[in-house]
Amino acid sequence: MSVVKRPSPKAKWYIPGILTGLKITIKHMLFNLASRKDMITVQYPEEKFQYSDRFKGNHILTVKKDGSLRCTACMLCATHCPAECISITAAEHDDPEVEKYPISYEIDILRCVFCGYCEEACPVDAIRMGPEHQTAAPAGDNFIYDITKLAYRAENKGGVLSKVDDQERHKRGL
Amino acid sequence: MPKLTINGQSIEVPQGTTVIQAAKELNIPIAHYCYHEGLSIAGACRMCLVEVEKNPKLQIACNLPVTDGMVVYTDNPRVKDAVKWSLDFHLINHPLDCPICDQAGECKLQDYYMDYGLYTPEMDQRKVKKNKAVSLGDRVVLDQERCILCSRCVRFTKEVSKTHELGIFNRGDRSIIATFEDRPLNNNYSVNTVDICPVGALTSKDFRFKQRVWFLKDFDTICNGCSTGCNVKVSYNANGVFRVRPKVNKEVNGHWMCDFGRDIYKHTNKEYRLEAVVEKREDLSGATVKGKPVALALQEIGKNLKQAKNIALVLTAQYTVEEYEAFLNFFVGKLKVSSIYYWKNNETSFDSFDGLLIRGDKNPNTQGLLKAAQKHNVKLLPVTEFDKSASSFDFCILAAPENQAVYPDITEKCQMFKKSNEVVCITSCYNDSYNGFKWQIPAKSFVEKDGTFVNFKGVAQKIKAGVKIIPTSVSLEEVVYGLTESMGVSI
Repeated sequence: MSVVKRPSPKAKWYIPGILTGLKITIKHMLFNLASRKDMITVQYPEEKFQYSDRFKGNHILTVKKDGSLRCTACMLCATHCPAECISITAAEHDDPEVEKYPISYEIDILRCVFCGYCEEACPVDAIRMGPEHQTAAPAGDNFIYDITKLAYRAENKGGVLSKVDDQERHKRGL
Repeated sequence: MPKLTINGQSIEVPQGTTVIQAAKELNIPIAHYCYHEGLSIAGACRMCLVEVEKNPKLQIACNLPVTDGMVVYTDNPRVKDAVKWSLDFHLINHPLDCPICDQAGECKLQDYYMDYGLYTPEMDQRKVKKNKAVSLGDRVVLDQERCILCSRCVRFTKEVSKTHELGIFNRGDRSIIATFEDRPLNNNYSVNTVDICPVGALTSKDFRFKQRVWFLKDFDTICNGCSTGCNVKVSYNANGVFRVRPKVNKEVNGHWMCDFGRDIYKHTNKEYRLEAVVEKREDLSGATVKGKPVALALQEIGKNLKQAKNIALVLTAQYTVEEYEAFLNFFVGKLKVSSIYYWKNNETSFDSFDGLLIRGDKNPNTQGLLKAAQKHNVKLLPVTEFDKSASSFDFCILAAPENQAVYPDITEKCQMFKKSNEVVCITSCYNDSYNGFKWQIPAKSFVEKDGTFVNFKGVAQKIKAGVKIIPTSVSLEEVVYGLTESMGVSI
């Protein structure tokens, strides 16, 4: 049985509560007027708050030294994705050293919950969560990010280099 | 009969049984790569080591005949340690490219590593590099690095297909699987080598990189590629059907199936299917209208069928026993149709047989059709005789073949059927030849319906609906049901 606690008659004494609230508001107003530099409010979107570089925002597909995608289309990210927002189509590469690569890699960014499991599952550091987080766009904009957007968008400055290099691993005899 | 004890459980087995077979009967798992029930014993992988009491050394269970009073242990620390090191030696030169390997998820190296893995590797030498993605023929790709040299595929080409293409070349850690002078592996059973490969060394070109296996589910059914009726497992997911693999049935197909049977899934997938009713309107200068609900279409067909005087029925042996039963019961039993034609594919090679599995009769249920006809006292006329009286038929119902690839005469025969006044074509696959017909009704493919196929020997085998690809499609039973509703006939 749930016991409902009725509001006490004291709750009707709302005027002191309002006055306390006003006191706080006015205190902040005066403080901000006195020193506008320390004001906590940011004038978004003209001003933007600077998050840490480690913030897990929009995905980045990393590239190899030759600029091609690092992704091997192993689908481990798609397997672990709890939102099922990643869809990959794999294909056979002409180079037998590469063998498998994605011909399409799409993330439905509106379904993504930014849990970062894709980044953790990736065996070759092909997908990372980048620092950008502002996904807002006008209605009808494309929220399904493809390879061009994920790997080669302007913010990536020509592509982010992956840490795992097959050539190097082969040289080391692995 | 010798009696032995494995891990404390006793069992009596026939003379000549090996320990691994006896363990299988007791459901005791013994790790193995090279041992395969359908092949000879190689003893190459050294994974099935077991301890036999009063024997100082560990023995391989696959090649150890049971003797009376034998006491075997498969899971004591000594055995586990030996298997662990066997596995680690297998992995010395293994490239560990599981992320791009198609076998990942059903790989025995992965499975046994979970059970026996040496998680702190002690190997500090460079791996031996071999060739990757070597094309072995039209259907198989070889990765020599992933191969553990169990020689299952070599024994398969030697013992089962008897084509002797594959062999092990070079020595020691340079040993590779290859074909002599790079001749292709193009026998009719080549993809079986992919199935029996315990690792990802042999992969199927058709299935390669299409799906990861953990996204797929399996269901058992019967291959509809020919009258042998091989037992198969069909792998599917929400995007359709992706592959067909053999299922063991010693009465019918043993462990194997042919390469043509691997392609039967293709014509069940959306891109080949008739997705909705197609109606050719007579009033609108022959324009076709698509998408009428099947029930409505059957109502209209029923109306016309009631007025029809001379009805012809054309049957192919690609449907189930239950469907023939319903069809003949209705058309012969109620409507007294006597012109029933049997459309046989490729008469010349109909009775051929390659000695292993492939039969020239490319229909799964020829015996079922013949038996159903016999039961209803129907004389099946050969379809070539249709031409003689084609123009006299004011109604023709055609149960078109599901596997169109094995009916080379489809266009020619359809021209013949078009001579009759109104043709209702019940078909699962789309075909341009059907365009002139008044009605095209989408039929269920063999993976979508329940029923029975009777193979060439007369063995009746059940098929079960495992997947829904075209939701609007109907079986012949449902067609009959729709027609009885609209015509007011009860059966």
